[in-house]
Amino acid sequence: MAVAETGLDRLAVEGPVGSTAVSVRNVNMVFGDYRAVDDASFDLQEGKFLTILGPSGSGKTTLLRMIAGFQAPTSGEIAINGIPVGHVPPNKRSIGMVFQKLALFPHMTAAQNVAFPLKMRRFDARTIPARVAKYLDLVKLGGFANRRIHELSGGQQQRIAIARALVFEPDLLLLDEPLAALDRKLREEMQLEFRRIQRELGVTTINVTHDQREALVVSDEIIVMDKGRIQQNAKPSATYRQPSNSFVAGFIGVTNFLSGSVTDVTDSEVAFIAGTQPLCGRWVATDVRPSAGQSVKGAVRAEQIRVAATPDRLDDLQTTVAGSVMDVIFEGERVVYEVRLASLQDATIRVFDHDPSQHAEFEAGARVFVGWNARDVLVFAE
Amino acid sequence: MRAYPLTWRLLDVLETGLEKVFPRRLAGITPYLMLAPAVLLVGLLVLGLFQVADGSLRTLDTTTFLMSESYSLDNFRRALSEPLFRNVAVKSFAGSLIVTAMTLVLALPYAYVMVRTKSAALRKILLIALFLPFFIGQVVRAYGWLIILGNQGLVNEALSFLGIGPFRLIYNYPAVLFGLIQYMLPFAVLMLAPAVTAIPEETEAAAESLGANWIQTFIHVVLPMARPGFVGAGLVVMTLSLTDFAIPAILGGGSQDFIANAIYDQFFRTSDQGLGATLALLLVAAGSTLVAIVFALVGTGTLQMGRAKQ
Ligand SMILES: Nc1ncnc2c1ncn2[C@@H]1O[C@H](COP(=O)(O)OP(=O)(O)OP(=O)(O)O)[C@@H](O)[C@H]1O
Ligand SMILES: [Mg+2]
Repeated sequence: MAVAETGLDRLAVEGPVGSTAVSVRNVNMVFGDYRAVDDASFDLQEGKFLTILGPSGSGKTTLLRMIAGFQAPTSGEIAINGIPVGHVPPNKRSIGMVFQKLALFPHMTAAQNVAFPLKMRRFDARTIPARVAKYLDLVKLGGFANRRIHELSGGQQQRIAIARALVFEPDLLLLDEPLAALDRKLREEMQLEFRRIQRELGVTTINVTHDQREALVVSDEIIVMDKGRIQQNAKPSATYRQPSNSFVAGFIGVTNFLSGSVTDVTDSEVAFIAGTQPLCGRWVATDVRPSAGQSVKGAVRAEQIRVAATPDRLDDLQTTVAGSVMDVIFEGERVVYEVRLASLQDATIRVFDHDPSQHAEFEAGARVFVGWNARDVLVFAE
Repeated sequence: MRAYPLTWRLLDVLETGLEKVFPRRLAGITPYLMLAPAVLLVGLLVLGLFQVADGSLRTLDTTTFLMSESYSLDNFRRALSEPLFRNVAVKSFAGSLIVTAMTLVLALPYAYVMVRTKSAALRKILLIALFLPFFIGQVVRAYGWLIILGNQGLVNEALSFLGIGPFRLIYNYPAVLFGLIQYMLPFAVLMLAPAVTAIPEETEAAAESLGANWIQTFIHVVLPMARPGFVGAGLVVMTLSLTDFAIPAILGGGSQDFIANAIYDQFFRTSDQGLGATLALLLVAAGSTLVAIVFALVGTGTLQMGRAKQ
């Protein structure tokens, strides 16, 4: 099996190289003097599951609506299967979309909802019932064909919306946070369900969410957006382990930022001093190099920090710092300590402790030591 | 002590006062107390209706101009058999149906544009145009149409410049229907606008992305989802135009009487209160039947009464 090693990290996709299903080129969307989408470009291979992740107002929905054809970009070009769709109205694009509020038709039954796109797209009337039945089965709602929408539970309505968006076998499936309104357990169940259906049908999918867990769980690729700009486009593991900037590092996972100024730069490492504490970390940006005296911040994830009563327990770690426990939060499978570090100008960091036999080993006020490895500290320009 | 906003403290005082006058355990009857004025009003009307019913059973003695002491069904026989009244009834019913249909057809695009337009200025203009007629009043407006459509009215003046006309544009049936539609349009728009507002824009977008063009979206999504508004607006327009007096009187010039005009004539021209009362009762019965039929056909649920559907 060929592996695409393009060298361009943001385009590196494992697996067979399909044809490009969606191509977004320098797309901008300006409302008045507000730039909701700022020079967005990306390619999506056929059959892939892409998640656009970003905080509220970052332009995710706007980008999705432009791909669906509800809004025309101020500038830039969108192509689906290689064909520019600038002047193609939504009903002439082969796109199934699931909306945030689902937008099911309340005056129709579940089956009529699913049959709607087939009728509008003039499928052979004789094949419609079988096709509707097939897709209701796909979403495990075979027995609910004649229910009205308001007679279905939230999760069942989600499934009908999915079936309706997929039944005409669109080239592209768009999901605009359809799970946001569900409770956590149902949401996680539906995420896996989306993944299963997507794999089963092999339909190219763009999913929008501000739930980082969902993005990591279901996606082949993640685009992180902030303030209308694409911050990173990479595989989930890369998004997590090699964030391209401090926004991505802070948005995904629980990340501690340690501000300081650069003292020394070697090939791969940056030494910097935060308060009175000398620290060391990896410089992430490849295009610019830090210079001595520059303000930087080191990002270190809560799960990469260990906490112990004495420094000798942390011997294997390159950096150890003394601190005092401010707060202890019991979260079931782990304990979160908030630790204040005097030598870092009283910066408070968060540390996960997964050791199940020693839950909440420390109490608030305890004097402790925290430690981490230099390679787990990612250094970004301030 | 924290300083709470003045309104909160006022409400606290009111609540303690209320508790003294009207203890909480009586709260169960509060809704009924609130209904009381309405019940009283309807009750008075029903009493009046008994009076009317009594009158409808007495015939007019044409020699003494007094109502008979004894009861008879003579008035009903006359009302249901005389061609004059049959003519009036047909005119009113056919008219109210045509007016209802035409008004709904015209009101929906108006309501739709008013709700959906992205231009705040256009929405404002449409709203003002909608409410302005309410300040003018029905009679003044009908006279306005006389001025515009009369033999020497604006329209015929303009036509005479082109060398055609004059046409008789008033004192005929179409003129009455036209006047009624013009009068009813704001009511219908006002009742349809909330129904259109209740349709999420996302639902229309969904229909589009599923392959429907805008006509199909309108027919398969907007129309059915606006149904509660249609039923409500249709009922209001139909009953109002069925019972209208001023427009048929003024734009019909006495030749295009609706039922209300016939009742007026009986009470105040021929002074046959018995026959007038009979016609009034028949109108109430016919109107109620019409409403009952609509409810039976589409169900009261479509007015979104009872438990709201999600
Ligand atoms: N039609 C519009 N007119 C003006 N501004 C708009 C319009 N649509 C979106 N915006 C603005 O563009 C920005 C991006 O909006 P968008 O809906 O794409 O955000 P989002 O990332 O989907 O956020 P959320 O997670 O809250 O749904 C917002 O600041 C929003 O106010
Ligand atoms: Mg959104």
